Amino acid sequence: MALDPSPPHARPHRVVGKRLPRVDARQRVTGEAIYPADLALPGMVHAKLLRSPLAHARILGIDTRRARALPGVLAVVTAADFPELPVGEMIPMGETGYDMWMVAAINMARDKVHWVGQPVAAVAALDVHTATAALALIEVSYAPLPVVPDIVTAIAADAPVLHDHVFTKGVEPRPRAPSNVCSRVLIARGDAPAALATAAERAQITVSVDTAHQGYLEPQVVVAQVDANGFATVWASTQGQFTAELMIARMLGLPAAKLRVVPLEVGGGFGGKIAIHGEAVAVRLAQMCRRPVKLVFSREEVLQGGSGPAAGALIEVGVAAAADGRLVAIEGCYRMDAGGLPGLSPSLLMQASAALYQCPNLKLEGFDVVTNKPRTEAYRGPGGIQAAFAMEQAIDALCQRLGIDPLEFRKRNASVTGSLMPIGTPFPAIGLSTILDRVHQHSCWSDPVGVGAYPRGRGLALGYWRGTSMTSAAHITIAGDGRPMVTIGTVDLSGTRSTMAQVVAEEFGVPVEEIHIQTGDSKSVGYSDGAAGSRVARTMTAALVEACADALRQLRMRAAEKLQLPSEALDYADGAFRARQPGGAAISLAELMQASLTEGAVVGRGVSSKLPLGVEIGAHVCDVEVDTDTGLVTVLRYTAFQDVGLALNPAAVEGQIEGSVVQGLGWALLEGFDYGADGRLRNASLLDYRMPTALDVPRIDSVIVETPVPNVPYGVRGVGEVPIVPPAAAVANAIARAIGVRVCRMPMTPERVLGAIRGARGRAA
Amino acid sequence: MKVLVSCRVNGEQHSVLVDPRDTLLELLRERIGLTGTKEGCGNGNCGTCTVLFDGMPVNACLVLALEAPGHEVLTIEGVARGPELDPIQRALVEVGGTQCGFCTPGIVLSAKALLAANPAPSELDIRQAIAGNLCRCTGYNKVVDAIAAAAQATRKRLDHGA
Repeated sequence: MALDPSPPHARPHRVVGKRLPRVDARQRVTGEAIYPADLALPGMVHAKLLRSPLAHARILGIDTRRARALPGVLAVVTAADFPELPVGEMIPMGETGYDMWMVAAINMARDKVHWVGQPVAAVAALDVHTATAALALIEVSYAPLPVVPDIVTAIAADAPVLHDHVFTKGVEPRPRAPSNVCSRVLIARGDAPAALATAAERAQITVSVDTAHQGYLEPQVVVAQVDANGFATVWASTQGQFTAELMIARMLGLPAAKLRVVPLEVGGGFGGKIAIHGEAVAVRLAQMCRRPVKLVFSREEVLQGGSGPAAGALIEVGVAAAADGRLVAIEGCYRMDAGGLPGLSPSLLMQASAALYQCPNLKLEGFDVVTNKPRTEAYRGPGGIQAAFAMEQAIDALCQRLGIDPLEFRKRNASVTGSLMPIGTPFPAIGLSTILDRVHQHSCWSDPVGVGAYPRGRGLALGYWRGTSMTSAAHITIAGDGRPMVTIGTVDLSGTRSTMAQVVAEEFGVPVEEIHIQTGDSKSVGYSDGAAGSRVARTMTAALVEACADALRQLRMRAAEKLQLPSEALDYADGAFRARQPGGAAISLAELMQASLTEGAVVGRGVSSKLPLGVEIGAHVCDVEVDTDTGLVTVLRYTAFQDVGLALNPAAVEGQIEGSVVQGLGWALLEGFDYGADGRLRNASLLDYRMPTALDVPRIDSVIVETPVPNVPYGVRGVGEVPIVPPAAAVANAIARAIGVRVCRMPMTPERVLGAIRGARGRAA
Repeated sequence: MKVLVSCRVNGEQHSVLVDPRDTLLELLRERIGLTGTKEGCGNGNCGTCTVLFDGMPVNACLVLALEAPGHEVLTIEGVARGPELDPIQRALVEVGGTQCGFCTPGIVLSAKALLAANPAPSELDIRQAIAGNLCRCTGYNKVVDAIAAAAQATRKRLDHGA
């Protein structure tokens, strides 16, 4: 049935692709938007978590008697109040999933602590002051263990092992001894070591990247309420209400039918709010004290072990080319610092770093390593910026050796549609060549870099991110006035409700103002995976196109009945069905629903699953000035080129690119966790962990390229993740072009830049 | 022990009981129920809780509730006049200068203080005025653009004697 709606691209879009304000912008600028911390329920009490002061220790005992006796304290919990979960019980989350024993350990340590800040107990009290006072009365007896503060210590032969049951995955034969290396991944084709050894020119680089934080401005927060039937409602700041519900239910041993997760506005997530942090603990406390419980993390808690930051890394890359500038080999070794529990597979970041080059010989080997630091979480294209910091610098160094312009080198070696990805499957339609042509034509590349008080340079770096699809669900009910009421199953992190309202308006041919759109809670809309992996706009568009068609199909049958015509004889456009012959009868959706509301509800449903990937590709150009007296790097100009398939809303797309680039620049130059040898974070405040202010960054220029993804509604690609991938490499390459020195530690703080300059002088002398 | 505090917020007189340890932020959010002002760090580093204190931008988390009497506090709830948005708010909506929205109320108030003192700010003036307000979503482009647009709209309106 090809009648409804008009196939995408068959006519010019009227709403999709327009620069429209967010549907919720007024609430955001007036302070009306509700975040979980804004909730106050009658009788609500307050919870605080007691956190481990040690990075590695056995818990010998916890005595909560004194805390319980403090007036105003209503409940105290420890791991003993939660079921012990076996290793390997997975919560679905796309291809990887979350192992519940780890989710439980993030929320409440059992027997051992693996990082400073890991929760060991929780208190609910009448007010926050009493809860805080009670924490000091809980006596935990620890047997300290040697601290494994970093990757190098963790992989040493005699390293203390963090987890007795973790054996390195991905090596044959299966190891007999437990290890801090949780998994090993190998992606190879051809013979990269041999090609590297014999190539005309090669470049090698080793980088280390500090752990950094997603930096969402809203700390983790939850409000939990349990009713007289034992039904729990959780208001959370989460990237996925269904994932959170599964995790909370398992951690409590509660049937999912007894639990509802309501996602309110999210004050930033960036990957750090996929796993639960305290939600199940708040529910347990609420069950015990029979009152609503609110748990709000302080900023120090967020930074000092209360949330998962992004993985640090040690990465070595070697690349080689023939004399004519043809890339012949890439070899990379990626060691990722997962923190205190096994982390994400390094496979995606390894692939990302090499995907944009056609190269016959490839050897990428990755290791997921545990250390006594907070368990890391995803951060916007997880691992992409770390890997690109190594790979794109190596490529740039190779260009310098070859004496080839770095843009020209990329043009010669760029992956095109049909090129093999690192895992051996061919690329679907990609627009990398178009992007490189656009860079070539742009003034950011052709303008002179200019002369300043200090040396200046221009850097180029590419970025790739695969993204994911997973599943999204939505339904549309038609109101009595004919207007579409849309409920989506994904949390709005990036303006989803606004772009999705545009899609529905386009499909219905009505103004966007007529669309009401909301995010459903975990009991009012179909299962959808979390908002992550640049998947929501693409997959929800597909789900909504299906839901619109479903609703319009039902409406068409009704219209045919009312107009007494065969349904095939009707055309639908602009919110009305019309008989196809000239001067024929017509009925608007409003008239139709007014005439037929009591004949039954019209509900259109749509589900997207296994949508083709919408891989993200970008190229960034940046100019810097390097103060060679202080090491301070100033970014003078920054331009990001990106293929987005189709920009549903160019303002939203630019917003994603601008914000993502600035996060990348923050990590590139300012942001890094400073851990002591005892595993304690020494800069656990937003003064000492410096995120970029408006004065630290220049205007970010975005150039949008549109190469639609085949067989995907509107051809939409992922947008939000890839722009964080190139910035550190682009800055590093600009620094190298400015001062002839490569800075291999990230963030590239003034002292590190100065150190690199002095090191180079020392070597030259 | 609680203390009775009387203060003026958004032109309204309030008398509330506070804990002597309460900050102005807690007074606003928890005692008066004005939750538009957000807490991002609680120690003055992120600017999320910016309000105007006698017209001056301050971090509400660094002011004690007991300091409020005798001063005029303006929060995000007092910026729009009924349904009519302030030009800064309108420009943020139109330009797309708000994403997750958590830093937005603080930025609106920093910008309000700037435009009250300097109706024709340069880009650097704007960046300086909001340098105490961390934003993690926007990269600042559209925030800066919105404040510049609001300044221009306000000047135009004044030029036309409106």
